[in-house]
Amino acid sequence: MKKLLVLICVLMVSLFIFSEEVITLNLIEAFSSPYRTPTLNNIIQMFETLNPGVKINVISPPYETAYQKINLMVSTEQPLDIIEIGDWDLSALAAMGKLEDLTPYIESWPEKNDMVEGVLEAASIYQGRPYLLPHGVFVKALFYRPDILAKYGIESYPKTMTELYEISKKLTESGKNQYGFAFRGKGYPTAFIDIVLTSFFDDIDPNNMYLTKSGEIIFEDPRAIEALNFYVSLYKDTAPKDSINWGWDEQVNSFVSGITPLLFQDPDTTGMLNEMLQPGQYKTSPLPLGTSGKVYPSFGFVGWGIPTYSEHKDLAWKFIKFVASAEINGYWSKSYGALPVLQSVYTYDSYFSSDLFEGWTKMFDDPEHYQFTEYPLDNKNWGKWNEFQEKTMQQVLLGKLSVENCLKQWTDFWKDAGIN
Amino acid sequence: MRRKKFIFFLLLPTLLLISFIILYPTISGVMLSFKNYSLYNFQNIEWIGFENFKTIFSDPFYIDTIWNTLKWVIFSVFFQLILGFILALLMKEPFKGRGVYAGLVFYPWAISGFAIGLIWSWLLNGQFGVINDILIKIGIIEEGISFLSDPSLAMFSVILVNVWYGIPFFAIMILAALQSVPDSLYDAAEIDGAGYFTKLFNITIPYIKPTLINTILLRTIWVMNFPDIIYGMTRGGPAGSTEILAVKMINTVFYESDYSKAAAHGVVIILIFFIYTMMYLKLTSKGEFSL
Repeated sequence: MKKLLVLICVLMVSLFIFSEEVITLNLIEAFSSPYRTPTLNNIIQMFETLNPGVKINVISPPYETAYQKINLMVSTEQPLDIIEIGDWDLSALAAMGKLEDLTPYIESWPEKNDMVEGVLEAASIYQGRPYLLPHGVFVKALFYRPDILAKYGIESYPKTMTELYEISKKLTESGKNQYGFAFRGKGYPTAFIDIVLTSFFDDIDPNNMYLTKSGEIIFEDPRAIEALNFYVSLYKDTAPKDSINWGWDEQVNSFVSGITPLLFQDPDTTGMLNEMLQPGQYKTSPLPLGTSGKVYPSFGFVGWGIPTYSEHKDLAWKFIKFVASAEINGYWSKSYGALPVLQSVYTYDSYFSSDLFEGWTKMFDDPEHYQFTEYPLDNKNWGKWNEFQEKTMQQVLLGKLSVENCLKQWTDFWKDAGIN
Repeated sequence: MRRKKFIFFLLLPTLLLISFIILYPTISGVMLSFKNYSLYNFQNIEWIGFENFKTIFSDPFYIDTIWNTLKWVIFSVFFQLILGFILALLMKEPFKGRGVYAGLVFYPWAISGFAIGLIWSWLLNGQFGVINDILIKIGIIEEGISFLSDPSLAMFSVILVNVWYGIPFFAIMILAALQSVPDSLYDAAEIDGAGYFTKLFNITIPYIKPTLINTILLRTIWVMNFPDIIYGMTRGGPAGSTEILAVKMINTVFYESDYSKAAAHGVVIILIFFIYTMMYLKLTSKGEFSL
């Protein structure tokens, strides 16, 4: 008995002496998907190998409810050290006062000068401070299926909104379940509506998509009536009726199956399309130009932030810095699909200058026709806007609300929100 | 007096537990509905009186939501009851493989409502849906039907799925009640020359009436407070045509992150339940049926 007790004591003392303290960082991601989460886990594994004694615990809420989960966890100060933040949620999180200002970290980060121009400025939408370090950039482009277009004798992708409508109409044969355009009716259709609508303008404020350069709300401009009528025609004449209820899943499914060979989407769609389609079965092109000869894409971003109450801020930054390094950012962007945030990635990896990225390359090289603008993301009514715009737009598409009344409601909404 | 005190102390732990798990969240939710607690306003939370209620009642879509809720509850419960009753009658008589059959028939009840909503949203999809595919192949239609994008069909579709989902519950409850009806009553009725429907309306239904009324009342509350299927299928769209009160409350949290406004929606739902429960208690107090 005595021997056994001595043995247990020796074992416990040995365990105490030789056991290493493990620090666990809690990371929550906002855009979990079967295509992306495994990549994140691989990166974490690399980081853990390079940093013995550090473990990263990943929390992957379902994509649909992730923002809510993150907001609630941060607001109630639940143990988190690294948070994934999207541009549309940044102001809400920063306004809580629970996000660490990353300025001192970024200032001392050698690779900050390698960042793609404008990314860090775009990420500083809340009080001019970077509360996150972007790890991916999102700009919508036109995805098209050359194989389906060729069947209808169409050699090239549409270069203007008018061509988009005409080609889509030519493709539409509802009896054969063949349509032209993968319309987005629900699940934040804002970005899609606004690309079409603002393309009828030539004087959009680069700092606020809903204002003209002279400070007028775009929805009370006569050009908005023409634009919205065009948008309704695009739905009625070229898209499946069902697409009024389509979000990202249905849009991409329809594109992959060839039912709608034209699609506006972000680069993260490439990750999934590369898995589901053969090389050359899809390509990208710049967004079609509007009647103004211009189009106004927005510059979306996703990044990592640190909560103010984290007990391991420096270690959290070490991980964020690791993910943002050129090698890892390249691997991340390639497998996930977002555009890299470091310039060097575009030069050392030919994938990002391949045909697949033609749409974005052409848009970035032509600032005269593709003028980037921003959403009023720091406005307190921004969260309400998406649901309101979706619902009123659906009413217009169903013929329950006139284009003029809809635009009046949108104007009133933004007047109440005080954007001008 | 001493006996009453003794009973009170015996009940005290239960009362405290109920207060903690039911009363506290309810009171807290009601208080929240009078504040301005939203994601954009964590720094300056204060009492704002009936402001949230004014906002929700001035919503131009609110009346539509009330109508949608009524349609959703009445049609769902009615068809669940009728079809559940028929299913229970069919399941009452023993037949070969009844156990397997019962398992298959009752399985929808075991699946999450949200998952069912998602599955049916794909089944009813206008372009890729299996239902449309079958209808086209057997020649009933030529083009896919937009079950979920046509507002008149969207409400019909979500109710249809809810009916499919809710039949097993009614069937289980009614089947249990049917098995308690003494065979001697049917034997006596048969001797008197009663037919199937005479026995059904004069023996079966009166005998299981308490179960029927209880189940209808409880299901009405559950169905009204059951956004899962609608959320999975349409999220209340298109253009709010399938938005019931419970879905509106969720949308307020998900889209607007306005917790106080969502709490105000919750308070309205609680008030409706309260009125409904009063009616329920009034009926039970007459001794017409009991729990």
